Amino acid sequence: MSLNQVPVIYKKEILDTVRDRRTLISMIILPVAAMPLLLFVLGKFISSAERKAGEEAVTIAVRGGDAVPGLVEALKKSGFELAASDDLRTAVEKKEIAAGLEIVTAAGSGTELRIYSDDTRQASGIAARKIRTALDKFKEEKILDQLRGFGVPETVLTPFVVKTVNVAPVQKLAGFFWGSIVAYFVVFLMFSGGMYPAIDLTAGEKERRTLEIYLASPAGRDAIVLGKILATTTAVLVTALLSILSVLISIRYTTFGESSGKLQAITGRMPLDAQTWGLVFLALIPTAVMAASLMIAIALLAKSFKEAQSYLTPLVMAVVLPLVVGMLPGMALTPALALVPLFNICQLIKEIFIGQFTWLAYAITMAANIVYAAAAYWLAVRVFKSERVLFRT
Amino acid sequence: MIQVHNLTKVFTDNKRGDIRAVDHISFEVREGEIFGLLGPNGAGKTTALRMLATVMKPTEGTAILGGHDVVKEPDEVRKMIGFQSGDMGLYHRLTPREILSFFAKLHGLNGARLTSRIEEMVSLVGLKEFTDTQVDKLSTGMRQKVAIARTLIHDPAILILDEPASGLDVPTARVIEEFILAARKSGKSILLSTHVMEEAEYLCDRIAVIDRGKIRIVGTMAELRAATGKERLREVFLELLGMEGEFARRSGDVS
Repeated sequence: MSLNQVPVIYKKEILDTVRDRRTLISMIILPVAAMPLLLFVLGKFISSAERKAGEEAVTIAVRGGDAVPGLVEALKKSGFELAASDDLRTAVEKKEIAAGLEIVTAAGSGTELRIYSDDTRQASGIAARKIRTALDKFKEEKILDQLRGFGVPETVLTPFVVKTVNVAPVQKLAGFFWGSIVAYFVVFLMFSGGMYPAIDLTAGEKERRTLEIYLASPAGRDAIVLGKILATTTAVLVTALLSILSVLISIRYTTFGESSGKLQAITGRMPLDAQTWGLVFLALIPTAVMAASLMIAIALLAKSFKEAQSYLTPLVMAVVLPLVVGMLPGMALTPALALVPLFNICQLIKEIFIGQFTWLAYAITMAANIVYAAAAYWLAVRVFKSERVLFRT
Repeated sequence: MIQVHNLTKVFTDNKRGDIRAVDHISFEVREGEIFGLLGPNGAGKTTALRMLATVMKPTEGTAILGGHDVVKEPDEVRKMIGFQSGDMGLYHRLTPREILSFFAKLHGLNGARLTSRIEEMVSLVGLKEFTDTQVDKLSTGMRQKVAIARTLIHDPAILILDEPASGLDVPTARVIEEFILAARKSGKSILLSTHVMEEAEYLCDRIAVIDRGKIRIVGTMAELRAATGKERLREVFLELLGMEGEFARRSGDVS
């Protein structure tokens, strides 16, 4: 193989790729623009839905409130606005009120407080929860009053307090959150974003009938494949990095409503240090080469762009499976699991972000992925040298 | 100089079995000669040319181009030839300058020599105004000129042209013919395939009629006429394909 031809071939392949509008849209514009747009709309929608639900949740109706002295006042004190209604069930169904409270007193079985809510409506759910809280508080006050009357200390009600301590610092939670997102998106986008360039440089060349002239030029077939794989790898990495940057910025600066304070605290702690990102980027390179080579090898089998698309779409779908397994909680990167392609990189990225990866796992993952990349490259070269494939009629 | 010896290509088809696309063909193209491979569609012309251009490997036999064997030294052969397929094979998203520069660099041209050669070719084919316009914005005639410039950019000693004027209008086809004639004048060996009789008759010094992978006859127009007893190349061609008599018989049936 004449190595000095590879840069010439690479440059031409990149130039041809960036001039293709279809590739540009799928590779750069769509991944970069889609996520901020999606999250912006989602964020706005969640905020406005929450606000609306909060406003609606204050209107309730009470039936038979006189049976429990002080109850109606307690509810009003909790911020509820009381509407009049005889049929609470229908009023909730017709959305006239967010929730209803009925006091049923039956002889011999005490008083029952019945809350009517429609759990498919956010506002109704919120109202029901608020009523329950208000009732609990009211009940507690009533008990306290009675205890005081008997001269019993209040502490008898709370012999102990239960508290949960999450030993994972917010930084670790943030690492888990960002690691999962980066791993999932980067690896998935590597395939989806690299698909069009891979097709364009192989089946696309066949369809446009430019391949024959290329093969008759002094560019050796090994050099041509290497140039094409390097160009596709570049496209894959650029797509992945641009997309991930777009996802990170979008999540970092999107407001997910007031109730997601914890989520906001995590999203606000994106690991930004050079070591984390350097290790992640380095680990991604063999996977990018493998993705590019595999897609080039498969797309070469097709006669046309359309045919190649139908070959590669299932591959991109199939990639999701090891990624989803990698996202499951409790999965660890053992030396054996570090040999599983795609899962290993997904898990490694997650562990790098959390800050608990081992150098052994890193080394095994890298070595395994280099072997897979080499195998995929070998396959692509083999396919490219097959006359049956190149001149399929 | 091109020397073809028993060149054979067999394709294996799962349904139809072995297909002998090119069957032991032998001929020679001298320096300063235009040699035509004339045959109907599916005769094996393109496959033969693809083997000579080292794009396909022969099943049997070989060919020597400029002293290099297509089987043993394909890399050396590629340096010597200018190949044009039937579809021009241009990158539509690149400009003529980018295409010429790419192929020239693959042939080892660099620096000032590369720039001057591109300028030279661009003015030779009359592309000056369109050097930096993307190919997909050029007319068919202009594209054909880009294809010629690309084929000649490294000044090859041998030209292999697969149906060079196929599907072109008369003025554009004429431009192509002029380039082929000029290349002969400069001493190049030119092998072209065609199914257009007028083109073969006008351009070629010698013609080989190929049918179902086999060469039926090789010779000058005069030799072909003498061998078949027919005057026009069209009649010579049909005679060699065994269709001339069949046509006369069918005409007799009708009358």
